[in-house]
Amino acid sequence: MEQAMGKIKAMVVDDSKIMRSAVKRALNQLMVADFEFVEAMDGEDALGKFNNEIEILFVDWNMPNMTGVEFAKAVRDKGNDQIPIIMVTAEKSMGKVDKALNEGGANEYVTKPFTADKMHKAISDYFDDDGNLITGDEDDNESKSFFKGILNS
Amino acid sequence: MNLDNLYELNQIPEEMIGKVRESVMNTFGSMTGEVPSYIENASSDDPLNGIVGNVTVFNSDHTLSLMLAIPRETAVYLSEVFIGMELPFESDDMGDLIGEISNILAGDVAANVEKVGFRGQSSLPTAMRGSDLMLFMPNKPPTEKMKFSSPNMEFWLTMVLSESK
Repeated sequence: MEQAMGKIKAMVVDDSKIMRSAVKRALNQLMVADFEFVEAMDGEDALGKFNNEIEILFVDWNMPNMTGVEFAKAVRDKGNDQIPIIMVTAEKSMGKVDKALNEGGANEYVTKPFTADKMHKAISDYFDDDGNLITGDEDDNESKSFFKGILNS
Repeated sequence: MNLDNLYELNQIPEEMIGKVRESVMNTFGSMTGEVPSYIENASSDDPLNGIVGNVTVFNSDHTLSLMLAIPRETAVYLSEVFIGMELPFESDDMGDLIGEISNILAGDVAANVEKVGFRGQSSLPTAMRGSDLMLFMPNKPPTEKMKFSSPNMEFWLTMVLSESK
């Protein structure tokens, strides 16, 4: 089957089905893009489902089998430098934020419970007005995202 | 805060209780838009008809266990606010929801108690549903039971501080 033009393939990784639904609902309500979702229940499941069609990742931290940070690091270690990784997690301490952004290679950090506004701030810079994913200069994104991640936390 | 002599403690340090209380109010306030009030001297040994969400914040020395006791009516209300629809109380999704709420609370507690010197990480949450539930603490570790209430919610949090085994 042919994929509809403009659909952004997003993976939502969370061991809570309720939270996966909440993330999907929030993203659909924001209308920054037309998403098509792939769900995974932990890092191990996500790694098995991950492929080069996935364009953006929304990842919980605290999950059985493989944590979100371990999954994010595995994705980066496979050479996926450009894919935006958004941590959506209950972990709030600065040490955790630092670990996710630096060790895991995450771009953004959204703390639960999240609001639509918080999610919008985290992802809006990654999409243009037509809902297309923007892939910009890596270094620039990296430094900008670090500060955004802190602000969003 | 010094936890070196935990064996000699018969209660949880007040600053730690204060931070956990603050986290409960912050977390439920953020989730529902109504900040629950802490009800002083409201300890009750009545059995619970509802759900208990369990989670811990732990390090190699100490474990802070958090048990959220949520009556059926509050659990149903939380589902309505959190996901926009009432979940059947008996459903697996309700257990998932209360587990996730416990997880969110633990994240806030972990960040908050770090400010008074307790650095730990949160465990995965569990939830159990039942009627006539009573919480028992083997070996009587330092325990604090707190009641919270708002117009649409009523729940208890029992926190227990113990040695990590």
